Amino acid sequence: MLASFGAELLKIRKRPATWILALVWFILIVLFGYLFTYSFAANPPDRPEDQPPQVQQQEEAFNEQILNGLLPENLLENLFANGVFSLGAAIVLILGAMAAGSEYSWGTMKTSLTQRPGRLGMLSGKALALALFIVLFVLLGLAAGAMSSYTVALLEDASINWPPLEELAKAAGVGVLTFGAWGFLGFALGMLFRGTALAIGLGLAWALAVENTIALLPIESDWWESFRRLTLGENTSSVGSIFGSPNPSFSIPETLVEPERAAITLGLYVAVFAVVSLVLLLRRDVT
Amino acid sequence: MAATVRQEPQEKERGTPLVVETRGLTKRYGRIAAVESLDLTVRRGEVYGFLGPNGAGKTTTLRMLLGLIRPTSGDARVLGEKPGSPAGLGKVGALVESPAFYPYLSGQDNLRVMARYSGVRSPRIAEVLERVELSGRAKDKFRKYSLGMKQRLGVAAALLKDPDLLVLDEPTNGLDPKGMADMRDLIRRLGKGDRTVLLSSHLLGEVEQICDRVGVISKGSLVAEGSVAELRGKQGLLVRAEPTEEAAQIAEKLVGVEEVAELGGALRLTTDPERAAEINAKLVSAGLRVSELRPAGQSLEEAFLELTGGETV
Ligand SMILES: Nc1ncnc2c1ncn2[C@@H]1O[C@H](COP(=O)(O)OP(=O)(O)OP(=O)(O)O)[C@@H](O)[C@H]1O
Ligand SMILES: [Mg+2]
Repeated sequence: MLASFGAELLKIRKRPATWILALVWFILIVLFGYLFTYSFAANPPDRPEDQPPQVQQQEEAFNEQILNGLLPENLLENLFANGVFSLGAAIVLILGAMAAGSEYSWGTMKTSLTQRPGRLGMLSGKALALALFIVLFVLLGLAAGAMSSYTVALLEDASINWPPLEELAKAAGVGVLTFGAWGFLGFALGMLFRGTALAIGLGLAWALAVENTIALLPIESDWWESFRRLTLGENTSSVGSIFGSPNPSFSIPETLVEPERAAITLGLYVAVFAVVSLVLLLRRDVT
Repeated sequence: MAATVRQEPQEKERGTPLVVETRGLTKRYGRIAAVESLDLTVRRGEVYGFLGPNGAGKTTTLRMLLGLIRPTSGDARVLGEKPGSPAGLGKVGALVESPAFYPYLSGQDNLRVMARYSGVRSPRIAEVLERVELSGRAKDKFRKYSLGMKQRLGVAAALLKDPDLLVLDEPTNGLDPKGMADMRDLIRRLGKGDRTVLLSSHLLGEVEQICDRVGVISKGSLVAEGSVAELRGKQGLLVRAEPTEEAAQIAEKLVGVEEVAELGGALRLTTDPERAAEINAKLVSAGLRVSELRPAGQSLEEAFLELTGGETV
C-alpha cells in the first residue's frame, strides 16, 4: 500500500489540474471571502444629501461591523459561517472525481494494475493520496483567509489578533471532515461512472442545485426532515456554524443537524464512499 | 515468506515447464462468447504466438491471464499463481491493447509511477528506456509522443520488473515497417534465454518470424496449436486418380490410413514428396488412371485461413 501511495502521490503532485484547482480555491477565498465584502464596506455608495444624520450613523456603524468581521480575530467566523469555505466543496469534489475517473478515461487502470499493486493496494494508495491533498487544500483555504484578513488589518490600521490555536485546530478538523466527504463523493462517482465527465457533472449538479432545492422545498413531514438531515449540505453548514457569526448584526440560522452529529455523519460519509469505491473496483472487470 | 522459500527448490526439481495454463477458460458478454473453453499452454522459455483475426478473443484472453477481467468459467494459472495475484504479477510484464499512460507526465515519470507500483528500484528506469531506445525523449510528455514511441514506452514499462513472462498484445500495431522490424527484433532478443514471451498478433508473418510455437484462436476457441512447421501442415502429395476409392485404398496401404485425406475429388497424402515415383508406379500397375500427382505443401496463410474459417484479417 505504501508503494502505491508513493505512485499515487507522484501522479497527483505532478498533475497541472491539481494546482489549477488549488489556485482557483485560493482566489475564491480571497474574492468571495474578503475582496468583495471589503470593497463594499470600505467604499460605501454615495449617500443622498438629505439623509438624516441618524441613518447615516447607523450605516457607518454597520460598515464598521462588516470591516471588523474581516479582521484576523474573526478569521474562522468569516470563513465558515458565511459559507465561503463550503465553496471549496465543489473544488475537492472535482479533485476526487479526477483521481478516480481519469484512470478510466486514459485507460491507465490496466497499466497500473498489471504492475502488481493489487486492487486493494492501489485503491488504498489512491485514497491516502487524495486524503493528503484534501488536508493540504484545507490548510490552503485557511492560509488564504489568514493572508487576506492580515491585509485588511494592515489597510485599516487595526490590531492583529489571531484566533487561539485550539480554534484553528478545530477549524482544520471541520475543514477536513467537510472536504473529505465531498472529495470522496467525487472519488466514488469517478469510480462509478469510470470517467471524469459524468462524475464531475452530476456531482456538481448535486452539490449546487439539487441540495439547495431540497433545502427550499416546502415539504413538511418527518421522513422528509430525516432525509434532509442526511444531506451533505445540511451537515456541512452545521459543522461550519460552530464558530458563530463574524457580525453581531447577523445571527446564524438554526441548523437542522446538531454539529456533533453532523461531524459523525460526515466522517461516516468518507468511510462509505471509500468502501463503495473499493467494492466497485474489486467487483468489476477492467477493460 | 517461509512458504515461498520452501516451495522454490521443489518447483525447480519438478521443473514445472508450464508458465501459462488455462483449462476451459470462458468469457461471455451477454450472448457473445468472447472466449470459449480455451485450453492454452505456454512453456517456460518459449516465444508463444497467439494468433487470430480481429475479434477472435486474444485481448480478452490476455486480460483474463492478467486478472483484469474475471472469467465466466474455467480457470487459469500464470507462473503457478492465480491470475492477477500480486505474487504472480510481480514476475509478469504486460502491454495490453494500446499503451496507456498519464499524458501529463514525461515518459520517465510515467515509468517512475509504474516502478513505484511494482517496487522496482529507480536505476532500472534508465535501463529499460535505453533498451527501447527512448532515452533521448525520456523527458518529453507522453502526450507528445508518436504512436511508435508510445508503443515502445509500453514495452519499457513491461520490462521494468525484468519479468519471467512478458505478455505483449499486438505490439507492432500501428508501427511503420521499420518500427515493426525493430520491435520484432527487440522481442526476439527479449525472448532469448529463460524468459517466456506470450505475443498476440493477427499477422502471420510476424508470428512466423518470431515465435517458437503458435496457438491459433478463432471466434473464441483454440483451433490449432503447434510449431509453425506443424501448423503449416506436413509435406505431402496431391494425387488425382480414377477411380478415387481404389486409389485411396492403395494409398492407405502405402502411407498409412491416417495420412490420407480426400480433398475435392483428389487425395492428399501426408508423406515425403520423394515417394511420388513409387506411388505413381503402384497406382498405374494397379490399373488406375493417374491424372495429377504433385507435391502439396500448405502455406501458413492457407493453414490460417482454413483454421479460422476463411476470415480475412
Ligand atoms: N467489454 C466487452 N463487452 C462486450 N463485448 C466485448 C467486450 N470486450 C470484448 N468483447 C467482444 O469479445 C470479442 C473478442 O474481443 P477481443 O478484443 O478479445 O478480440 P481480439 O482478438 O483482441 O481482436 P483484435 O485483433 O481486434 O484486437 C469481440 O467480439 C468483442 O466485441
Ligand atoms: Mg485485441
